[in-house]
Amino acid sequence: MRKLSALSSQHKTGLITAFVISILLSLFAFRDASAQLTATANHDHIKVDFFYHGSTVSVRGVSEPGTDLVIKITSPEEHQQLLKKGKVAGLLWMNVGKLAFEKLPNLYSLHSTGKIEDILSRDEMDRYGLGYPALERHAEITPSAGEDEKAAWFDQFIRFKESSKLYTVSSGKINLTEDNGKQNYYVLLEWPYQARPDQYTITVYAVKDRKVVETAETHVSVEQVGVVKSLAGMSKNNGALYGIISILAALGAGFGVGMVFRKGGGAH
Amino acid sequence: MYLYLPVALTSVNVLIPVGLGLAVGLLSGLFGVGGGFLMTPLLIMFGIPSTVAAATDSNQIVAASTSGTYAHWKVGNVDFKMGLYLLAGGFIGGLFGVQAIKILRATGNADFVIKMTYVLMLGIVGTYMFIESLASMRRNKVESVREEKESGLGRFLKSLPLQTHFEKSGVTHSALLPIFFGGIVGVLAAIMGVGGGFLMVPVMVYILRMPMHVVVGTSLFQILFNCIEVTFLQSYTNHNVDFILAVLLLLGSTIGAQVGAVFGRRLKGEQLKIILAVIVLVVTVQIVFELTLSPSLLLSQGGGH
Repeated sequence: MRKLSALSSQHKTGLITAFVISILLSLFAFRDASAQLTATANHDHIKVDFFYHGSTVSVRGVSEPGTDLVIKITSPEEHQQLLKKGKVAGLLWMNVGKLAFEKLPNLYSLHSTGKIEDILSRDEMDRYGLGYPALERHAEITPSAGEDEKAAWFDQFIRFKESSKLYTVSSGKINLTEDNGKQNYYVLLEWPYQARPDQYTITVYAVKDRKVVETAETHVSVEQVGVVKSLAGMSKNNGALYGIISILAALGAGFGVGMVFRKGGGAH
Repeated sequence: MYLYLPVALTSVNVLIPVGLGLAVGLLSGLFGVGGGFLMTPLLIMFGIPSTVAAATDSNQIVAASTSGTYAHWKVGNVDFKMGLYLLAGGFIGGLFGVQAIKILRATGNADFVIKMTYVLMLGIVGTYMFIESLASMRRNKVESVREEKESGLGRFLKSLPLQTHFEKSGVTHSALLPIFFGGIVGVLAAIMGVGGGFLMVPVMVYILRMPMHVVVGTSLFQILFNCIEVTFLQSYTNHNVDFILAVLLLLGSTIGAQVGAVFGRRLKGEQLKIILAVIVLVVTVQIVFELTLSPSLLLSQGGGH
């Protein structure tokens, strides 16, 4: 575009020519890389109320025929601190310290048409943070002495996250159909209730010749609503009152049940 | 049916906390323990974050012990005077225990000391109660109830100042005795992060020589006050109390405590002691297994931010 404006300052006719050329070029570019990749989630807002038990999120869109697809859902990268277990005195398992995991998201969900290592080069996986190995190379784990220890703790981190459904990787789940020279894709994903309220980003990558050729993005926010929201907020912002109410409710319940039983007992 | 817990940030099948509450409340009404040593690990097992599990359990115990104290008070089994002395001691001990934990954390082997204290205390208390109550059951059978000899320790305790009579329990002690032992339990409970009912009950039975049925009611009375304090501090400083989870738990535990109190009246003191001893020993064995078997996950939540 800078070139274009430089031209326009010289000749008016040049401007028109350049304009036409640029449109033609962009049209070719459009055809070539097929700037048709779209991504839509069935809802961009997941409401957490009392009866929330997770949800499902479907992602659908259109891509150029013959491209492989990778769909990634993540929360923002953050600092996560976990307790690590180790052997004490060579015999007893217990918590032996803390580990800090940096530059890793709380939730990471990756789905691809083929195995991620088969459809993408290592450089591309690293560039876009696709696949556990790419996450591992990007992450920082402290304290850890050397690559071996880092790899071992990263492995444990994945197991920990997968056990609470926050990390998942799959291939072959994405449904592809061809229609009028376009490729429609669709995937239905379980949304775990363990995923806390946050902003989540869904990114779809179109892949060709082991390279990402195009990306599209959409967002899902998980938000507490109603009484769940007010209770969580009160616990956080007004701990004293929250504590007093909790205690009074417990005292009331204890006495209440005691009274009921006394009446019941009197009837014996 | 599933309900979402706003502070634990997880969804739970309501039958689980109600059922757990019922079971642990039953034990509470029967034996005068809060049951934290059972409830907290069970909640963690069902996916509740450990910090929320412990804090919410103390809120739930407020309800269960109110219900239990009320039931025992109705039949005259709460020694309020003794309870207040124990509470005073427990409060002072708690302050020391919290300081001890701070020092331990600074030296870096807090977890080791906590776990070892826990296992040893449970093991010693469980074994002693088991052997003692078995022996006294046998003794009763032979019907040779010997008057216990006055030991040197007994004479020493009698010589302490501030002797006072505890009418409900039918014992006379120096007021310093319950304050001192309440204090020791307070220190240990703070170190282990539990209410300490399983320690307080044997102290009352074996050191203060209170009758078992009064022990249960009095223990619940002082647990009630401890847990009110802990619930407040937890929600004020750590924001870890999940009100909804507490309500689900107390639905079960308040009823369980009443049923336990009724059942307890039909059992003899020795029978109650031996069942509690067995439960404590089972928990000890379970913790020993946990410490020695390879865990499936080497990482856990709770590092804080």
